[in-house]
Amino acid sequence: MQEIRRRYVLPGDKIVEGNYRPLMNVVKSGNAIIATRIGIAETGREGVKVIPLSGIYIPRVNDLVLGKIVDHTSLSWEVDINSCFSAHLPAQDVFGRDFSPARDDMNKHLAIGDMITARIMAFDRTRDPMLTVQDRDLGKIPKGELLKISATRVPRLIGKRGSMIQTIEQATQTRVLIGQNGIVVVTGRNPEGILQAVKAIRMVEEEAHTANLTQRIKALLNVPDNPQDAQPSNDASKPQDEQIEAADDVEELEVENEK
Amino acid sequence: MTQTRNLIDENGKRTDGRTIDEMRPVKITVGTVKNADGSAFVEFGKNKIVAAVYGPREVHPKHLAQPDRCVLRCRYHMSPFSTDTRKNPAPSRREVEISKVMRESLEPALMLEDYPRAAIDVFVEVLQSDGGSRCAGITAAAVALADAGINMRDIVSACAAGKVDDKIVLDINDTEDKEGGADMPVAYMPRLNQVTLMQLDGNLSPDQFNECLDKAIEGCKAVAEIQKAALMQKYFGNETEVKEEQ
Repeated sequence: MQEIRRRYVLPGDKIVEGNYRPLMNVVKSGNAIIATRIGIAETGREGVKVIPLSGIYIPRVNDLVLGKIVDHTSLSWEVDINSCFSAHLPAQDVFGRDFSPARDDMNKHLAIGDMITARIMAFDRTRDPMLTVQDRDLGKIPKGELLKISATRVPRLIGKRGSMIQTIEQATQTRVLIGQNGIVVVTGRNPEGILQAVKAIRMVEEEAHTANLTQRIKALLNVPDNPQDAQPSNDASKPQDEQIEAADDVEELEVENEK
Repeated sequence: MTQTRNLIDENGKRTDGRTIDEMRPVKITVGTVKNADGSAFVEFGKNKIVAAVYGPREVHPKHLAQPDRCVLRCRYHMSPFSTDTRKNPAPSRREVEISKVMRESLEPALMLEDYPRAAIDVFVEVLQSDGGSRCAGITAAAVALADAGINMRDIVSACAAGKVDDKIVLDINDTEDKEGGADMPVAYMPRLNQVTLMQLDGNLSPDQFNECLDKAIEGCKAVAEIQKAALMQKYFGNETEVKEEQ
């Protein structure tokens, strides 16, 4: 397989010349591929893309997002998903197909101000995104410490196959729920652990583009480099489905992009 | 415009000691406004300008939204303390005009069709002014837009040139603007080699016009390098090559 070449780019920078496919955050101009965002350009066999370092969240189908209920009509909830588009969660999705606005009280299920985990069912920029909570681990978030990070930092926070987030979770004895839209909820029994995790997440956000970040996070959380020595009190069989699922999403999506 | 004194002395130096081809020192800091999605602070000689970009975000009032593209809204404003005598903070005729030309000079660089039904708000606040503040404002706004992560075809940079004592000079300051012969602000996209703003007050012969435009474009190219260096510094520090993780 051909080596992927990476370099730092700014909007308007020429990444490469020749017959390459433009993938993400690039534009073709004559024979050249031009970056349209600040980020890291990757030139590979599949094509050329720029992994952005700044910018807001643009929804994509199948993304796992965390959102806040801001309003509801008689047929759907309006959800703030930290984007320039506000999302809609149809009431039928929660109550089933025989939903009746007269019979069912939407406020009982999800009140204004509630946080939810949801998946984007449909979105194509011509209409607002549609959400669903019909899946495992989706729905209302009962409690936790809420953080907002830049959506561009989410893949870094999850890390390769969830390595970064697993490191943080295991060292701080917390559970970290990450939405692709940059909203993060940290839960755990120990307030100290939650504070530590928040500190680590903030550090990942600040230094997302630098190398050896996992090592520095480990140093911050006092995790020894050898995984066998790490926190023997930690329950190794602790379920981490949500986060790994989120991490898998990122990888899946990146594969999709490359196609 | 009547000239009352010599603006270029016998040594070829201008009122602030520059030569005719010399720009004022430009300094750009990225990310100065914490609450904005993108921001920049530009010092263009004695001009001090903050630009902040918010968005793409929902459009309010909703009837302004365009179904096929994003709306760009610009506000150029001079602080009351930015000039010698206090400036009324209400938007003046001049500020409304500059807001408009600023929007039109930035629009060609932005890929607004990527964010339909949304709005991007650009706020440019002049804290201290010394001539050429619209150019400095466009320069700051372009950096702030790049910082906000909005898809752009190219960076827009701006610089003025003009006529002083019948000589074409680069980067007009306030005195030269008021007492000189002509002032030509130009905004330019260096990669695309396209001019997005060209205004002119004063009189120039066709030859002088061409010389003036060429000089302004050279100035824009120099500004673009400073803009890029500032963005590189903010995002990548002093690194120029990507270091591989693990």
